[in-house]
Amino acid sequence: MARTPRNPLSVTSLTAPVAMGYIPLGAVFGFLFVQAGGSAWLALASSLLIYAGAAQFMMVPMLAAGLPVSAIAMATLVINLRHVFYGLSLLSSMPANQWRRAYSIFALTDESYSVLTALPAGARSQRMALVCALNQAWWVLGTAVGVWLGARAQIGITGIDFVLAALFAVLAVEQWRARRDVVPIWIAVVTYGIALALLPAQALALAIALSLLAALLRPARPIGTAHE
Amino acid sequence: MNDGGYVGTAILLMALVTVVLRGLPFVAGRWLRRHAVIQKLGDSLPLSIMVLLLIDTAAGQARGHAGPPWPELICVAVVAILQWRTRQTLLSIVAGTLLYVALRGFTGG
Repeated sequence: MARTPRNPLSVTSLTAPVAMGYIPLGAVFGFLFVQAGGSAWLALASSLLIYAGAAQFMMVPMLAAGLPVSAIAMATLVINLRHVFYGLSLLSSMPANQWRRAYSIFALTDESYSVLTALPAGARSQRMALVCALNQAWWVLGTAVGVWLGARAQIGITGIDFVLAALFAVLAVEQWRARRDVVPIWIAVVTYGIALALLPAQALALAIALSLLAALLRPARPIGTAHE
Repeated sequence: MNDGGYVGTAILLMALVTVVLRGLPFVAGRWLRRHAVIQKLGDSLPLSIMVLLLIDTAAGQARGHAGPPWPELICVAVVAILQWRTRQTLLSIVAGTLLYVALRGFTGG
């Protein structure tokens, strides 16, 4: 091994923290999916084909409630909209090989994005596909563990579905860390209040539409305040 | 969730929506970057949406039990503070969820 163990750019040291997060969280997803009555192979198919943690956690109660697939697709659109803005900042550092490139785009999750943006720009394109593939391997492995556990133990734990709210809280904190802008938080709180008063059954959808409108209407931020 | 066709369709649609969103900047990046409107949305919308999803999910949890939403408020605060201080996603989520399970068990569900 030519690499020194402390090399902060080694692939192992880059994806080990992701493994620590993805294996247990993937396990929670697999567990909840099977406990809700889903089949093991569909849980694995979700982690292989969708590979988006928050959306996968969201799908379990929606599928269990038998909601229309259009509603589930719409919720996925909203939850994963942030990925459009991740890609924009990595445009210039994609792998040249088209298969690696395509896979990296498919597998660009929050965790992969934060690992990749921590790398110097020159090292990104070489490591991107490998980092993404290892991260997805951890996620699928975790799902398999969760499926295996869920098929064996029928334990209804009141409150374990709080994991979705906790994941959204984590993602909100990370969005805050990147921008340090308090206005979007106020926009969310105020529009949710308005939406709840006007249309309680569709409060989230209406609040998102109102937030979009507010984001368009707010004056541009002075140059130099965005943390990128 | 016993209907494989229904669940399978949902999975394929979710996969399609996700990959289109992840791919959009690479297909239409130049176009997207030329438009100040997109920059404005990128500055503001992701944080607003995460806060909205958080409020909506926590409110849904709170409707599942009687009494005031103290468990939700406390546990969301714990997750946010842990994540802010430590950046350990797993620690924040596991600690917050375990505390939530304990509080719900304690208050009688």
